[in-house]
Amino acid sequence: MAGGRGRNAIGEGGIVMDIVSRLDQWKEQGTISPEQHTLLAGLSRSEPFSLFLELNILLYAGILAFIGGLGWTVSTWSEQLGDVVVLVVLSALLATSFWYCFSRAPAWSAAESPSTGLALDYVLYLGCLVWSVELAYLENRFHLLPGQWDFYLLLTAGVFFFLAYRFDNRFVLSLALSSLAGWFGLTVSHWPSHQDAAYRQYAILYSLTVGGAGAALKRRGLKSHFFGTYLNIAANVLFWAVLSGVFQREGYAVWLVCLLAACGASLAWGITRRQFSFVAYAAVYGYVGVSAILIRDMHNDTAFLSYFFVTGVAMLVLLVLIARRYTREA
Amino acid sequence: MRAYSASAEEAVHARELLKDWAGEDFLTAEQYQRMQQETGCNLRRTNIFLRLVLFLFTLIIVGAAAALFFVVFLGRPEMRTTGIWLLFFAAICYAATELAVSRARLYRYGIEEALAACSVGFLCAGIQAVLYSIYHYSIMSTGTGSLVPAAGAIAALWIWHRFGLPYAPLAAMIFVVWLPGYWTSSQPARHLIVAAIYAAGLLAVFALRPRHRFTFLNGEYAIAEALLWLGIYVIINLQLSALNLLGDWWGGVRGTGEFSRPFYWTTWAITWCLPPVILARGLRRKDRFVIAAGAIAATLTLATNKPYLGLERHTWDPMLLGILLVGVAFFTRRWLAGAPDGIRRGFTARRLSGKDKQWLSAGAATFGLVSPHMITPSPQAGTPGVKFGGGDSGGAGATSDF
Repeated sequence: MAGGRGRNAIGEGGIVMDIVSRLDQWKEQGTISPEQHTLLAGLSRSEPFSLFLELNILLYAGILAFIGGLGWTVSTWSEQLGDVVVLVVLSALLATSFWYCFSRAPAWSAAESPSTGLALDYVLYLGCLVWSVELAYLENRFHLLPGQWDFYLLLTAGVFFFLAYRFDNRFVLSLALSSLAGWFGLTVSHWPSHQDAAYRQYAILYSLTVGGAGAALKRRGLKSHFFGTYLNIAANVLFWAVLSGVFQREGYAVWLVCLLAACGASLAWGITRRQFSFVAYAAVYGYVGVSAILIRDMHNDTAFLSYFFVTGVAMLVLLVLIARRYTREA
Repeated sequence: MRAYSASAEEAVHARELLKDWAGEDFLTAEQYQRMQQETGCNLRRTNIFLRLVLFLFTLIIVGAAAALFFVVFLGRPEMRTTGIWLLFFAAICYAATELAVSRARLYRYGIEEALAACSVGFLCAGIQAVLYSIYHYSIMSTGTGSLVPAAGAIAALWIWHRFGLPYAPLAAMIFVVWLPGYWTSSQPARHLIVAAIYAAGLLAVFALRPRHRFTFLNGEYAIAEALLWLGIYVIINLQLSALNLLGDWWGGVRGTGEFSRPFYWTTWAITWCLPPVILARGLRRKDRFVIAAGAIAATLTLATNKPYLGLERHTWDPMLLGILLVGVAFFTRRWLAGAPDGIRRGFTARRLSGKDKQWLSAGAATFGLVSPHMITPSPQAGTPGVKFGGGDSGGAGATSDF
């Protein structure tokens, strides 16, 4: 390749046109305007260089570190500090965060709102996490709803859903969905130990509720761009729940049928909507579920390995066909 | 020596840029379509999800095929026979990678990547088995065993050079970490050897990079450079690189007996010197990956400083770190925004790439779900007072184990 800002150079494949040469050509052809050419040629040389992503990551990491420290400090020093001090500090943080957000936010719109700057999103995220810390502290110290703390989750989910839609914030939407999952009895870290029937039913109910709500809100035109988040979460929870049924020693046939139906739906959705994460879900969850049943009583090494070889090839061929048919050539 | 032609890879690079710009509305839909048609090439690509799944199934096929061969044809072979056959499989996998690239024109398709990964894996396993059959357990003491990681590192570098897989340098770096264990039992010497090899790699990248500054290869070199910087930092920072002691990392005071005092304090000084150097280089070259490496190194320096000094950690330390990070972010943003057009010294806080938006959306959905679980600490043993925390259900901490 050419050195420095080389334009055209001889490579192994003949004449190599770099992006600047292409932009020159497109300008001469009239495909892009001179202003666009100036802008894009600059961007291709990182002039200007955007620190947008870096600043967002810095803010996110900062908020997480702050809340982690806050939670740790409150849990460790609450007796020394006293309830009043803890609650006043947490409430002040909460009130300031929400005041900032409500006072700075633009008018609400059902469509995707343009970003109003870095601060608003992360102050809102901070406020939501402080809310959670304060609620946990209140219940722990004063037992306002003894034995019924799941209501806190429902309340939290409701508040977070409202805030996510008011401020068009995906971070808070994810918090709302995870709080709702908590209310439904889902505990991410307890997956391996809670594969009983009731747990599975709650998981399925949750995924259907979330998926249905997402679809309904999309149909009404309320923040339609959130639909992908709803659908991805609903699909994953549903697949996990159904898979846990497939892994049972008895009564797994009905779950296998459910799994195949879910895989079919996911595959169809992924292909028709060009959302290939759903194709991947169908392939992986489906393969794991079907394999779990087929190799369950397979004790012969040759048969076991042959199964993985043959089915692996079959899956690979199928996926390559899908990829060739529906995804891009370079 | 590169498996793909420069014109094809430059076309792929151009397409990625066009997609970015179209995502940020710098191009109209018609312009984008027309320009995309003019940047076509004969490489076959797919999206990230299918790429991952294709990678997974290729691994399954190759693993099952190799195991099946051993079960059906060899039964319980001797170690040397096993090793020779594994080396044969490595050659087959590599040949298959070449074929997948040259004939099927696969480019970041998952299949050829998995085949390349398998070739490196089989190579190392094969050499290990052959050496073990000859030297048995003495491969550790004679140093011959270092052939395994050395071969792995060289093979990974070759894969990077030949196919440009961006994670291949990371694999090579991981192999390098195992190298000095065969040569010396001295911990400081091991750190120094690994750091020296990484530094040599960094110098090589410094020498090669300038000629590819504005080509499709710049990104690959940027990732390699960032990984090497980060590798040097992690090896030098004794609070991070003493992996066997990671378990008591949060315990506060750490013993320094395994390292001499001059060595220990020199590494401490370097952990403070490296981050600004990395950041300065990244900013000067406007290199996203190197800037990220510098930022990570700086954050790690702040996070590990107290254990380095033998000082007690406080519960509010993460809060202070968080305030610092948020403060730096806001100050930088305001400083940049204060300039005409929001551009100061060639930098801006504005979003200029459609890819950034996609990353943020995906990150927000993913990390929004898992972050409450990550940040809420477990109750401290023996700590009086409340014991909330855990955030097990992910409900932003409100769902803790009361």
